[in-house]
Amino acid sequence: MGLVKFLAKRIVAIVVTISLVVGVGYVLIYISPGTFYSAANMGQGLSQLQVSDPALYNQYLNSLNSRYGLNQPLIEQVGKYVWHSLTFNFGTSFENPSIPIIHQLAQAVPISSILAFGAIALAVVLGVPLGVLAALKRNTWLDSALTTLSMVGQAIPSFVLAVLLVLFFGVWFPGILPVNGWGTVGEAVLPIVALSAGNVAAVTRYTRGSMVEALRQDYVRTAEAKGVPWRRVVLRHALRNSLVAVVTVIGPTFAFTIISTLWVEQIFTIPGLGTLLAQAFPNKDVPMAITSIYVLCLLVMGMNLLVDLLYRVLDPRVKLQ
Amino acid sequence: MADELLCVEDLHTEFWRGDGTVYAVNGASFSVAPGETLGIVGESGSGKSVSVLSIVGLVRGNGQVTGGTAKFMGKDLLKLRRRQLEDIRGRDIGMIFQDPMSSLNPTMRIGDQIMEGMLSHQYTNRKGAFNRTLQLLDEVGIPEGRARFRSYPHEFSGGMRQRAMIAMAVACEPQLLIADEPTTALDVTVQTQILVLLQELQQKQRMSIVLITHDFGVATNVCDRIIVMYAGKVMESASVAEFIARPAHPYTIGLKRSVIEVGTQAHQLKAVPGVATTLMAPPHNCPFADRCQFVTDRCRAEVPELRPLSEGHYVACHRAEEVLAEAGATAVEGATADVR
Amino acid sequence: MAVITAPGAIAVRTPRHHSQLWLAWRRYKRNKLAVTGAVVVLIFVVIGVIGPWVAPQNYAQANFLYANHAPSLRFPFGTDGLGHDMLSQVIWSFRNALEIAFGASLVSFLIGLALGLWAGLRGGLADMAVMRLVDFMFAFPNYFLSLFLVVAMGRSLLPILLAIAIPGWAGYARLVRGLVLGMRNGEMVEAARALGATQRHIARKYLLPNVTNSIFVAIAFGVPFDLLVMASLSLVGLGLRPPLPSFGNMIAQAGANVLGYPWLMYFPAAIFAVILLAFLFVADGLQEALDPKAGEGGRVPRSRRLLQIARGRSPAVGGARL
Repeated sequence: MGLVKFLAKRIVAIVVTISLVVGVGYVLIYISPGTFYSAANMGQGLSQLQVSDPALYNQYLNSLNSRYGLNQPLIEQVGKYVWHSLTFNFGTSFENPSIPIIHQLAQAVPISSILAFGAIALAVVLGVPLGVLAALKRNTWLDSALTTLSMVGQAIPSFVLAVLLVLFFGVWFPGILPVNGWGTVGEAVLPIVALSAGNVAAVTRYTRGSMVEALRQDYVRTAEAKGVPWRRVVLRHALRNSLVAVVTVIGPTFAFTIISTLWVEQIFTIPGLGTLLAQAFPNKDVPMAITSIYVLCLLVMGMNLLVDLLYRVLDPRVKLQ
Repeated sequence: MADELLCVEDLHTEFWRGDGTVYAVNGASFSVAPGETLGIVGESGSGKSVSVLSIVGLVRGNGQVTGGTAKFMGKDLLKLRRRQLEDIRGRDIGMIFQDPMSSLNPTMRIGDQIMEGMLSHQYTNRKGAFNRTLQLLDEVGIPEGRARFRSYPHEFSGGMRQRAMIAMAVACEPQLLIADEPTTALDVTVQTQILVLLQELQQKQRMSIVLITHDFGVATNVCDRIIVMYAGKVMESASVAEFIARPAHPYTIGLKRSVIEVGTQAHQLKAVPGVATTLMAPPHNCPFADRCQFVTDRCRAEVPELRPLSEGHYVACHRAEEVLAEAGATAVEGATADVR
Repeated sequence: MAVITAPGAIAVRTPRHHSQLWLAWRRYKRNKLAVTGAVVVLIFVVIGVIGPWVAPQNYAQANFLYANHAPSLRFPFGTDGLGHDMLSQVIWSFRNALEIAFGASLVSFLIGLALGLWAGLRGGLADMAVMRLVDFMFAFPNYFLSLFLVVAMGRSLLPILLAIAIPGWAGYARLVRGLVLGMRNGEMVEAARALGATQRHIARKYLLPNVTNSIFVAIAFGVPFDLLVMASLSLVGLGLRPPLPSFGNMIAQAGANVLGYPWLMYFPAAIFAVILLAFLFVADGLQEALDPKAGEGGRVPRSRRLLQIARGRSPAVGGARL
């Protein structure tokens, strides 16, 4: 069965890629200047200990080193780390040694996922009809308005837009929508809007482009020649084939959106993956930094796989490979 | 002419381009009788496809019909609204196009595409459409209809695709079938099969066919009557027999000479000199003048109108009689000596 | 004489003095957005170069007496919590952004050029190795690699530049390799060879213009992308280490204080957005001008191109870089 073989191949590719990313990431942090747990990492108490009782301090460091496996050869460390990651054995972070990383992820991943998937969903729901409209009203004022709007919408980065939204709803017209925090539906609105604006624009433009192209195709003329009502010609023939093209951009769009989520979370102070990542990286919290990247890679590559499968469903000509 | 199925008169179609207006069809007139096969012959760009697409309202992009009438079963197609045209297309007028690959929707099953027209016209219900589709697949020579129903176009060969297109076009038993270069994209052997299939269906369903082709050989083999188009005008119109015996327009003669037959030697071939031009202004002289060996000053000053030459033979050439006389002479000569 | 622009392009009859460059310029000029973008970019570059001499203050000069002042005549853009003059910060940011964005794009390109040439010319095992590596780079968002690189190298100017540059090579490598292979096997080249053109003539007349154009366009798309990455690094705490000013730092900092001191946000965010837009318009215009084959007719292809820019992949570079 082609599907099973395809899935097996892709999953192997994902595992290899992720292992490499985790390994490279580990090595890069390992060679970075300074130790993994500086005084800043381990808190005030430890730096006092260093002054008052150096012997105990070193003993403590050694115990930490063996606990995290840092006294083993680098290659062994990397191998173990990769293996632990692949088996979802993430351990605890340096910052929060008492809470397993997996618990922190269990809180953060759904938040970031809601934001990213919400943004993509909104983009499709708004962008596809707008794109179809622009294509049907080609070269009219409506088309130019939509085109210009989406050009600007696409070029403004999500975090700049997020900032503008905060200014608007936080400073100029406060009280309409909450501009920070997480927990209520209202608090999800602005971040999703900020994230999806660029995507709406992109999907609109892309749909417009592929619709214009599809409407020119011979098979659309054939459908008209059969006397199929115009509505159905547009939806069943032109749009159906355009969607094949639109779906192919969802993959890269999702990758970009999930990364943008990291940034936008910072501006709306949302405790998602971005917040974990933004705490972990500057502080060289190795387990947390690598794990968050690991999870992000997994999300992106899983989504790409999903898009490829969807593509296969939408276009019967595509063979999985 | 009351018994004509389709009667087109003085049809004009223009296209707007960045650099001006292209006059694609300039006063074409022709008619199709019930049960007749009309061939429209011409080089690419001669306006043969555009004139037929104009009639059924399928001119794309920046094109627009700017004048003329097209009476079909008592109605002027050019004056109908889109909804009314949609009713006629597919039900009374079926169409097949040149490239069966690009003309079929790649994401839709063949069977669904054949059924779609019937369902749009309430020709029959779903069950009936399904059964009719199986019957059609059989009629157009696609075996194992039930399995093929669920196939996608890319799983078909070129000839099979064109057969499926034909099934779609004749599904609602139209009065008129427009075939726009139906065999051009196909292998030679398949070409013949498709033409034979068209003839069979025509006899079975008693429909008229308009066959657009650039291939004079195909046209003379299949059609009852032929019109030759050039620069969006009808240059000559006659029965096939008349065309073979007494072609009277220099362009027709040129087209006939450039037909490549088995056994023709290269030196026997004669290409029509020059290239077909796109008109950026309405014609004010004979559009063929620049390529014509019989050209006179009158040809460069005056548009020749389509006029009767003999019974059922019309030609748009100022010097048709002389051309006819000379061509007859060369034809006799040609039998003995090569025209070098 | 007929100028052959690209395989498959229509031979255009043009007078001899209409050189490729002249034609490109003429096409570029027609695109109003691109011209506007070019003017903005030019201003940006000029300010970036002369910044240190025109800025009212040094970027690091803090003045607690004037902390958190709203915009005024003395501080047109206001001051931040440490009393930094925001106008000076913005001007110095131009310089840093300029150095990093152009520098990173250049370094990315040079790495890609070297690997792409090596793969394309050597073929065989070298080609396979490079292409596998390219596949790997395309399989995950390269932004993540930038994060690790910043941690490994630190947060001053050069490390940040390299952290942005190093993950970006894959697209250029693939582009260069493709061009090299196209050079060898292209129909156009074969046709020219069949007509008896010498190697040197082929290289000069046919290959060089196409190659330089594609590369030029690719770099033009790379610069705004690198600007975006640079700013975004600040948002996750990995941007230029303060007090080095950058748009990302200003936006991140203002984001934290936006309710109290909103003016901190106005100018940096607006100016950053304008610069980014300007660069995108320039890149888009360049593509249309230099690669008319891709931009013929304009409207439909452009939508795709802009999408790809926004997604951090230019069609010329041909793949996701983020």
